[in-house]
Amino acid sequence: MHDGRFDPSGFYEFNLGGGTVRTRNGDRVMVLSEGVLSSLVAAAARDGDLTPLRRLGELLGDQVLAGLDRPASVLTPEAVLGHVSAVTALFGWGRLTFERWGAALVIALRDKPDLDEDDLGAAALLGGMFSQVSQRQVSCVPAGDARFIMVDFEVAETVWGWFKDGADLPAIVGMLEAKRAS
Amino acid sequence: MSDREDRLRSLLNKVRAKRPDERSTQAADVIERIRTASGAVPAAQPVETTPPSSAGSSMPAGSAPPANAPLSSVPVANAPTPSPLPLRSSSHPAHEPPTSPTVESPTRYSSQPPRVERPLSVEPRARTSRPVSSQSAPVSSASNEPARPASSQPARPISAAPGKPEAIRAESAAPTGQPVVFSTDAPEFPRPKTFGDLLELTLSLRPR
Repeated sequence: MHDGRFDPSGFYEFNLGGGTVRTRNGDRVMVLSEGVLSSLVAAAARDGDLTPLRRLGELLGDQVLAGLDRPASVLTPEAVLGHVSAVTALFGWGRLTFERWGAALVIALRDKPDLDEDDLGAAALLGGMFSQVSQRQVSCVPAGDARFIMVDFEVAETVWGWFKDGADLPAIVGMLEAKRAS
Repeated sequence: MSDREDRLRSLLNKVRAKRPDERSTQAADVIERIRTASGAVPAAQPVETTPPSSAGSSMPAGSAPPANAPLSSVPVANAPTPSPLPLRSSSHPAHEPPTSPTVESPTRYSSQPPRVERPLSVEPRARTSRPVSSQSAPVSSASNEPARPASSQPARPISAAPGKPEAIRAESAAPTGQPVVFSTDAPEFPRPKTFGDLLELTLSLRPR
């Protein structure tokens, strides 16, 4: 199994003369304050288009993939978590951990920036990142207490509806069962 | 012992020739320790002042405390908060998540694989025991080891050191003499070995 740890050294390259900040992969990034970003995300959530956040998550996923020497699907959950949590932290999105509730994989994102009331911005970001990491389209649905349950695209709306109706995470997990996707 | 002393003395002379001020005291202390031990030191025991090449070949497997290895290798910066239900690769069903559809607490993942596996695999008797029955009988997954009287066990300086877990013998059983029975039932929630397995599991979830 892959046992390589994420190496954060030299992750960012600051070019003062050129006025750019790039990751070690060459992607140009910008530093935004939480207040500015939250207003942008809140506006995007109101408009129902969180595509930019999902795209940002995909870029984070690219950073994760660049640090892996094998596909994430063949690595241990701990090895993937090590890289994912490191990249998430380096971009200032908080402290990411995995939890397993029954058969469900739940992403906990502590100390994340407060962007929008329903955490849809963070959900879009996580969905994009894990879709890129896993090379499959996944959704991360807010489930309260800075937790996001990872489910298939097809059931994301249903799960979100349960949560909006007041179901907590144990109840949501109890209303799901593992089936082979048709 | 005299050969060993001679070897160490020649090394000490070499070291003195290079750095007389820094190393003479330490090397002399080592020689003094060996001398005062007067044969109590095993021949294979490593000495700090031996060159790395010879020390590596003569170091016994148990010379480094295995319990220290996982502790020193545990990441601090990336380690999530310890959980009462950490994911471990132990195959004992008692660590599985609750089998009820309503799950009240999660299994949390550490960002690095549990390093405790490797030392345990070479030192199975260093495992800590865990009560599984109402009689609180100590049992471990190493209990299928062939029975061996305590007197016939080879001397293990590390496991015999104070503060180490007591050696678990195959005859470990409930105080009543009843054997400890292990369940062979597979856990309801299979334990994913890879991130891909974990993903398949969560993406297969559908409304009941």
